[in-house]
Amino acid sequence: MELGEDERDIDREWIGLELNPFDDQALEQAVLLKESVAARVTAIAAEAEGGERMLKTALARGVDEVRLIELDEEAVQLSSRARAPLYAEAIAEIAPDLVLTGVLSTDDLYGELAPLLGAILDWPQVSAASQVTQKGASVTVRQEYSGGAAAMVEMQLPAVVGLQTASRPPRYVPGSKLRDLLKVEIPTSEPSVEPGADLADATTLELPDSSGGAEMIDGNAEVVAEKIHGILSERGLV
Amino acid sequence: MRCLIYVEHNGGQVAESALQLGTLAKSIGAEAVGLVCAGDGEAVADLTRQLSGFDAALGVADPVVSAYNAQAAAKALTQCVETQAPDLVMTSYSTAGIDLAPTVSIKADLPMIGYVLELAIDGDGLAAVSMVYGGKLRAKTEIATPCIVAVMPGAAKAEALAGQPAPNAEMIQVDLSGLAMTVVETLEPESSDVNLAEAEKIFCVGRALGGTEKIGVAEEMAAALGAELAGSRPVIDAGWMPKVRQVGKSGTKVKPKLYFMAGVSGAPEHLEGMEDSELIIAINSDEQAPIFGKAHYGAVCDMFQLLPALTARLNAGK
Amino acid sequence: MTTLILWIVTGAALALSAWRFWRLFSPLSAARPTGRGQQLGARLSFMIGDIALHRRLMKFSYSGILHACIFSSFIVLFSAIVESFGSGLFPGFSLAPIGGNTWIALLQNLFALVIAVGLGMAIYLRFAAKPDRFKGSKTFDATVIYVLAGLIVITMILEASARLAIDGQGSVWRPVSTLFMLPMVSLGITGHAAERVEVLFYWAHIGAILGFLVYIPGSKHRHMFTAAPNIFFRPLTSKGQLPAPEEDAPGPVQAYSDFTWKDLLDTLSCTECGRCQSVCPAHAAGKPLSPKTLIMNLRDGYLTDQGLMQSADHALPIVGGTIQPETLWSCTTCRACMEVCPLHIEHVPKIVKLRRSMVEEGQVEPLLQTTLTNFQSQGNSFGKPPKQRARWTKGLSYKIKDARKTAVDVLWFVGDFASFDPRAQKLTFMVAELLGQAKVDVGILYDGERNSGNDVRRAGDEGLFEMLAAHNIEQLEACTFKRIMTTDPHSLNALKSEYPTLGARYEVLHYSELFLELIRAGRLVLDPRAAKRVTYHDPCYLGRYNGGFDAPRDLIAALGHELVEMPRNRENSFCCGAGGGRIFMEDAPTGERPSESRIREAMALGDISTFIVSCPKDVVMYSAAAQALGVETELAVRDLAEMISETIATEELVAP
Repeated sequence: MELGEDERDIDREWIGLELNPFDDQALEQAVLLKESVAARVTAIAAEAEGGERMLKTALARGVDEVRLIELDEEAVQLSSRARAPLYAEAIAEIAPDLVLTGVLSTDDLYGELAPLLGAILDWPQVSAASQVTQKGASVTVRQEYSGGAAAMVEMQLPAVVGLQTASRPPRYVPGSKLRDLLKVEIPTSEPSVEPGADLADATTLELPDSSGGAEMIDGNAEVVAEKIHGILSERGLV
Repeated sequence: MRCLIYVEHNGGQVAESALQLGTLAKSIGAEAVGLVCAGDGEAVADLTRQLSGFDAALGVADPVVSAYNAQAAAKALTQCVETQAPDLVMTSYSTAGIDLAPTVSIKADLPMIGYVLELAIDGDGLAAVSMVYGGKLRAKTEIATPCIVAVMPGAAKAEALAGQPAPNAEMIQVDLSGLAMTVVETLEPESSDVNLAEAEKIFCVGRALGGTEKIGVAEEMAAALGAELAGSRPVIDAGWMPKVRQVGKSGTKVKPKLYFMAGVSGAPEHLEGMEDSELIIAINSDEQAPIFGKAHYGAVCDMFQLLPALTARLNAGK
Repeated sequence: MTTLILWIVTGAALALSAWRFWRLFSPLSAARPTGRGQQLGARLSFMIGDIALHRRLMKFSYSGILHACIFSSFIVLFSAIVESFGSGLFPGFSLAPIGGNTWIALLQNLFALVIAVGLGMAIYLRFAAKPDRFKGSKTFDATVIYVLAGLIVITMILEASARLAIDGQGSVWRPVSTLFMLPMVSLGITGHAAERVEVLFYWAHIGAILGFLVYIPGSKHRHMFTAAPNIFFRPLTSKGQLPAPEEDAPGPVQAYSDFTWKDLLDTLSCTECGRCQSVCPAHAAGKPLSPKTLIMNLRDGYLTDQGLMQSADHALPIVGGTIQPETLWSCTTCRACMEVCPLHIEHVPKIVKLRRSMVEEGQVEPLLQTTLTNFQSQGNSFGKPPKQRARWTKGLSYKIKDARKTAVDVLWFVGDFASFDPRAQKLTFMVAELLGQAKVDVGILYDGERNSGNDVRRAGDEGLFEMLAAHNIEQLEACTFKRIMTTDPHSLNALKSEYPTLGARYEVLHYSELFLELIRAGRLVLDPRAAKRVTYHDPCYLGRYNGGFDAPRDLIAALGHELVEMPRNRENSFCCGAGGGRIFMEDAPTGERPSESRIREAMALGDISTFIVSCPKDVVMYSAAAQALGVETELAVRDLAEMISETIATEELVAP
């Protein structure tokens, strides 16, 4: 990973983007809800590199509808904080019972879309959730805390869930389904609200100081095993 | 500068991460004010007594917050921020912190930063260092007060304030009516023979394990080492190991004499759970794995070649 | 009376046998078509040659010889069967006028001995030598066949012995029967007594033959009837071309009728000989795959599905019920099984078809899922953006042309591993420098290239393969070039054998061919003084799939090295374990890794300094294997490019 010249952003020239793994879990959970309680699922994304492809993947995985929120070219690198009002607007239009999104993203200072949406929409929100089940006008989720503790939380719908783990690992989307969707037009919508204020302009990035890291052991497996064994014996750990 | 700290607790114990926030607040010369939400006045008082070195504490006593309730806690913290007008609001970057910091940021219209590792006074405002991209980069942000920061657990040492007197809680009234969220049940970590928190030696494997069919290799390694076997989040999520064996933010926090890890890249959530281990040895096939920044010893190699070799050596040495 | 009884029992046995065959084979008509009705002449002549010469059977010489003994005897002894039934069903019928009592009788007697030898060898092999390849085969079935075949021959001999005993006169045309006549005569069995014994053995002979006939449909000895059509209808397309999903029925295989009828015939033809199992790298590594058991399980699954067998282990669904996903993911698609099968059974296409049905369900090995997702998003297995593909060209002594912008002589399709893997990159760089030295007019596609899709197709993602291939073809079509060169046999296979079905035909060379050509043309001058004793590993997709056996060997010879072949060479080469998408999956040690087995094989040659490879994946696989075995100082794993580089004459010696 390398930094751009202005140290405001990473150098995107040479990197590949992929779906945030937690969003992947959220997408899977949504499709699982479709399969278990016949939920109608809409996937939304704001324009970003690969956003359209991601929505096609979502269609291939079984969501019913997708929507791409159009952004100006310079706005595609917006933070989750800045994007939150745009999503909230689209969500208010779609008016779902439940919003699922990944609990965290690591590519900006905020990384927490679910509580932002919950606060903007004034809907109850739980982050770090797993085991989403729906009953009538409420959903019950398991909220995970540190140390292995957890709680079962019941929320009245509509609600927002920041998902950590879906009930089963995300499924693979075969190329045949993607191929069939290659020519599908992704419906777009233009936001009428302004992006939220964030601190992007007050932030500079740097690579962490890598000195002080591990003392590296070189060699093949046998040599490494021998050295590790030596370290452990020296310290009386074996 | 007055710093309002949301105090997390579980089972009558204040979370260590909350005490760390106290240390961090004091380290920048701020006044550390804890917000303690609990089921009744007595519980608030008990918890407040644990806030060594805090300058003040505010108490909210209400049955709906006897266990953590995301919506109620957010209401309490937002109202507290509005009435107390602190210069700085701190939460941990924990599940509760993820719920609360952004919510209050919107509701009270304050700027917010997450993933905070370091904090310093910078003129009229603050300078914060956050880790982004899973620890691969550091972000330095200048932020004006009042503001909210969500701090990575481990950013400061809780012990720094140990032994100092704790404040008394000043009870405040907040409106917690109209909640759309109920905590139905709290679940303690499953008890079992596995006790990672107390283990002296832990062998932890990551996603590179690939599946349950290969778990024997890891079990043999753990047995040869006399260590408890543990897994990182992907290993647990995939169902290759039970939840009790998870180390990290959403698993168990450990502090063994030896933490030997194979195929764990070292996501911040994992590091949070094991970085206090006395000796960390990591092997990974990716030389860029962030874990090598934290480990004491590292080696780039294929775990399925190294582990049998090391297991054989350990067994031969016994 | 006798005639009537014979008519009745023969008719009944034929009817029963025919009914049994019908039940087995009639469902094949509901299976998918194969489209193999063309080139009948070529099919026929190959089939006859293959059967008559025992071409594939002789690869295992002991088994080949014993099979030849039994096979030839069956043909000769068929005359005895004709005689027995002919004379019984049509009184007066006899082969005597054409030599039934002279040379035909002699042949029958001699081949009775030949079959005895064959059966003896077979029995020894199965019950004493017990090679591993028989593990999992049905011994009982084989035993029944030995007994029935033995009975047919013994009764035939003894029937004639009894006939000779009537007069007590032996015959020079029937030496074996005469030999057995002697004890009969000495026991007083002559005249009427001998006639009665003759009748007894006649009916025993008839009984054994009819028993055999009725038994065969349910036995692996069906292959007497199915081998010929199975070989006749073998694929004539290039070996590297996997059958595409049928256009009229593109859905994945879920029921047995979703296979082609030839797929099902394959399973019914299998003789459980286990040659495939003995050459399978996955099986050798302790993975849950044996090509033989796979075919047997598909057969038993099919039989169970048709209600011809009761087996809980072979219930539907095919994947997950009869065949486990881990079994299917274990295959490296190396084609060793198909190359060795005497019946030309197509194991790999069946595995790929079943993989396709898993992929279609979204059921994919976890690490493979990550890799396939990388292919979808970035077009390569490394998940790197296409822009990084040509990063390895940094530092080259010349700027390699962009074939999309300028016409070139040779278009170099670099491939994923050669472009992105740090170890393979160094070799790629070296190849580029060599091409530069030889002044080859070469260009690459830069970020226009995507993975060729060869392994994606074999991992079972047909749609993804088509997308990758369509992209590459679109790029290639827009370029002007004469030939395509690649260092990667997997890319070679796709470009050479798969893309033509998508309408893209090119002349595709492996770098071993191009460099041999350059050396022969004097465009690269060698200084072959530092000769070494070396061995060479045939990559599956260069050798077995595309017949590229000689160019690398000629090249090694041109470099002046002494090539010592490993026991498993050319079409018997042993896969490194990386093919068919295996390299993208987790490789837990369940047994000896194929790559390590191969390194041991090379080490066992004694005093070999260099293990030469000609595939970027092999470089990675075998370097790791040599390192794991701790022999990397004794046995250097080297790519052809390195071998050429170190033998190249210094600049001054190169003619301008």
